[in-house]
Amino acid sequence: MEIYLNKNIKEIINQFPKAADVLNEYDIACAPCNVGTCLLKGVVEVHNLSSEAEHELLKKIAQVIFPGKDVEIPKIKRKVAHAAGQIKYSPAIRKLVDEHVYIKKLLAAMPIMLESIDVSSAEDKQLILNSIDFIRSYADKYHHAKEEDILFKKFEGIEIVKAMLEEHDIGRGHIKAALEAVEKGDNQTIRERLIAYRELLKEHIKKEDEILYPWLDKNLSVSEIGEMFSKFSGVDKQYLSASQRYEGFANKIEEKILHKEVLQND
Amino acid sequence: MIEGCPGSKTMDLRETETQGEGESVKVGSQLRQWPIQMHLISPTAPYFQGADVVLVADCVAYAFGNFHNDYLKGKSIGIACPKLDSEQEIYAEKIKGWIDDAKINTLTVLIMQVPCCSGLVKLAQEAAQSASRKVPIKYIVVGVQGEILQEEWL
Repeated sequence: MEIYLNKNIKEIINQFPKAADVLNEYDIACAPCNVGTCLLKGVVEVHNLSSEAEHELLKKIAQVIFPGKDVEIPKIKRKVAHAAGQIKYSPAIRKLVDEHVYIKKLLAAMPIMLESIDVSSAEDKQLILNSIDFIRSYADKYHHAKEEDILFKKFEGIEIVKAMLEEHDIGRGHIKAALEAVEKGDNQTIRERLIAYRELLKEHIKKEDEILYPWLDKNLSVSEIGEMFSKFSGVDKQYLSASQRYEGFANKIEEKILHKEVLQND
Repeated sequence: MIEGCPGSKTMDLRETETQGEGESVKVGSQLRQWPIQMHLISPTAPYFQGADVVLVADCVAYAFGNFHNDYLKGKSIGIACPKLDSEQEIYAEKIKGWIDDAKINTLTVLIMQVPCCSGLVKLAQEAAQSASRKVPIKYIVVGVQGEILQEEWL
């Protein structure tokens, strides 16, 4: 079993597809992950399971890999003891979670926004360009810069962090393609790429908010949290007026598009 | 036995005093400064500059056996009693001075579980709100037998 703890999760799922069902039982959604390079032991550690649930999960996976055999279940070594339950973020990580709220507002509005989009109309084209500008400037430059240049730098080389960085790159690819499609007036590609971006980011944010951030938080000392908070505050100061403008845009989109939808359904 | 205020309720803990019984272990001090009492400290003393600071209720270090290694190591300190100390508005000014002038990195407030001790967290929180800088503040509640009951960021 030790060997499998050090194997990447996609390899295990490909070899033993039922392992994905076991992970799903514990709300560990590795099967649809775009990257899947996390090691099994990393996946178990980062999901903050109670020691009983961790043992049970590994026992079920062992049964998938070695059916009918009595396998000794190793205990995953953790840097910090975890308390399963409610998520409480440090003030540094809380800043990132708060920024996700604005990104999620745009993601939520996207299906309605894209339903009848036609970039041959100046108004629709501007809406798409503004949304892409929000994604590139707020979600990527401002928010991802904090993650990539500050937070993730502290955890370089860890598989789940590498997976998150790869998802950032996949997202950038979708946005680049959507922008090119705007220039060509290709409504179909705009829709496909922005919806793909939405699906990717929705899952990405969920993984960060519920799994990665709480784990990173527990692995940072009080002093490191303070340093990170100070660096994030520096970024906030640098982008203050821009971030407020983009947060205003996300609020406006939510109000305009989602509210309109609610009114139509009433 | 005096009933009423939980802060001064008599408790006999002799029967539960078992940890390390009979052993004599030398624990080195992690104190990096003097003075430590909030009326005596200068908030801009060199050891507060950019430091991780602990603001500790007087009783904590007696209740929590491993205080030096677990919470004092690498930190600067101020101690106070929110129940008995007078002129606590001076403490608030000093905490504000830590944040704005000494530009401390973090503030951790350690209090006892008794209700009156929570006044120290409130004092720190209000002082921090009046400061122009923001720093992460954590509070830790210690039980009378030295157990950590709660540890949270504000």
